Amino acid sequence: MSLRAIAASIRVGWAREFNWTNPLAGFSLRTVGPLASVIAASAVYYVASVHNIPPSFDPSRLAYIIIGAALYTHVAAYSWVPTLAIAEGKWTYVFPQVYIAPHSSLPYLIGRTLASFASSTMTVIVSLILSFYTLSSIIGTGIPFIATPVSVGLLILAMVMNIFAAFGLGLLLSAYALFATKFEWALPTYVAGLLMIFSEALFPVSLLPHPVSDVANVLPFTEFMRASRYAMIYGDIPSYFLYLGLSAVGGLIFLGLGYAAFRYAENRARRLGVIDKKTA
Amino acid sequence: MKLHSNPWLRTAYARLWVRAKSIYGEPLWVAINIGFPFFTSFSFTMVYRAYGLGSYAGFAILGGVMISFWGNVLWSMASQFNWDKQVGLFEIYISSPASISAILVGMSLGGILGTAPSAALVALLGWTIFHPTVNPVWPAVISVFALTLASLYALGMALSSLYLAYGREADSVNEALHEPVSLISGVYFPSTGGFSPFPLAVQAGASLIPLTLGMDALRRTLFFGQGFGEFTIDLELVALAIMGIVLLFASSKALKFLEDKGRRTGTIAVRQR
Repeated sequence: MSLRAIAASIRVGWAREFNWTNPLAGFSLRTVGPLASVIAASAVYYVASVHNIPPSFDPSRLAYIIIGAALYTHVAAYSWVPTLAIAEGKWTYVFPQVYIAPHSSLPYLIGRTLASFASSTMTVIVSLILSFYTLSSIIGTGIPFIATPVSVGLLILAMVMNIFAAFGLGLLLSAYALFATKFEWALPTYVAGLLMIFSEALFPVSLLPHPVSDVANVLPFTEFMRASRYAMIYGDIPSYFLYLGLSAVGGLIFLGLGYAAFRYAENRARRLGVIDKKTA
Repeated sequence: MKLHSNPWLRTAYARLWVRAKSIYGEPLWVAINIGFPFFTSFSFTMVYRAYGLGSYAGFAILGGVMISFWGNVLWSMASQFNWDKQVGLFEIYISSPASISAILVGMSLGGILGTAPSAALVALLGWTIFHPTVNPVWPAVISVFALTLASLYALGMALSSLYLAYGREADSVNEALHEPVSLISGVYFPSTGGFSPFPLAVQAGASLIPLTLGMDALRRTLFFGQGFGEFTIDLELVALAIMGIVLLFASSKALKFLEDKGRRTGTIAVRQR
């Protein structure tokens, strides 16, 4: 696997996401969705807590939801890119061409994912900043974020560490996409919906029934959310590194599983001759 | 009037049948389609329950039901002609004697029929799991629901003519529209009225979207026991009906304009991928 192939794929991914228009328009269109999601989740919390009797609105809980909603959309936005690259690539005959080039399928998927990670990281940071100002002005209260170079750096580090888990999930879905002729477009949104529930994006997973909550509790995505909150809201560095470590370990396990599934599926798909099977 | 003697009805029926068959011919689509609406409404229901107004958890379940239709309007109505153009189907539509408006109406009715099982499953699962408190006035609920769908799908028809003029950006515009419209329409929380967190100007702007009025009227009729004769409900019903008619008229005019322009410039069947 060469770095040159990955770099070329990053350029392809970037072009796929932004070259259809000018970069500013592309970036704005990609930011407005996550921003709306964050404000919607926050608005649900605001309505529920302010109209509660007695009112139970808590600014730090609002910060908890803003971070969770923003990072959830970030993970959902790029973890499905390997599946998209295969499904769309089969449709446009790009993926069979990639596959014909020796040892190119994995660098191609890594490059596409990294390109999407980079654009999604930018959109999520802009969404966080805009939602912070929008909600502060709508609600008329301060939202307790720790916005220092260190905390933002720790947040970005957590996002980088989460690539392992997200790419592992992407490879698991890609293993299916290699064979699929239907549903592969819908599957990532299905998984994104599941992540919303099981990654502690909006509410603690302890509220889920056992044993579902136990599984959700150890998912790398959940640990990633916790680490990010410790960096941006609670300012507890030892807890941050604890959850970051757990997120990294879980992510590597996810990546291993995804890689094994993808390799198995790829070999099988080649034997069955479905790599260039066009989807409709 | 017999169906087979009227080309407009035959066209609408044919398009309806194809769309409905594409869902009912593969029941797994229903299970796939409920995924995102159900999980999203599940999450927001948990937020309502965890942080305060558990008794209004039904708002989130209703949102899950209606977001299924909104997703269908965006992805299977608004961008459908654009996709049809990419695969060469739109050329066949315009070169045949079939009426484009009949195709759109058939597509809408088929979309409603195709989305109904997923939406019903979201409602059923939400009701079974969370037992939300409801106080429905059923005739009003049904009227509001029907008028909301009519005006939503009329919006889809209007957007389909707009998207026909676009190429690859249609998908990105769709993605950009989905969440913001859900937000200001108050799919999961009241975005207008006393419960809304938004300023009055935003509420006024949001009221120009059929989904906003529909969601507000549905919440009032389903959860607060309001029915016909209540000023707000009557006003919202009239507004929804007017919006539906205006949007239908606008979509027909816009499609005709784009079709004529496309024929003149020879770009009507140009694929832009």
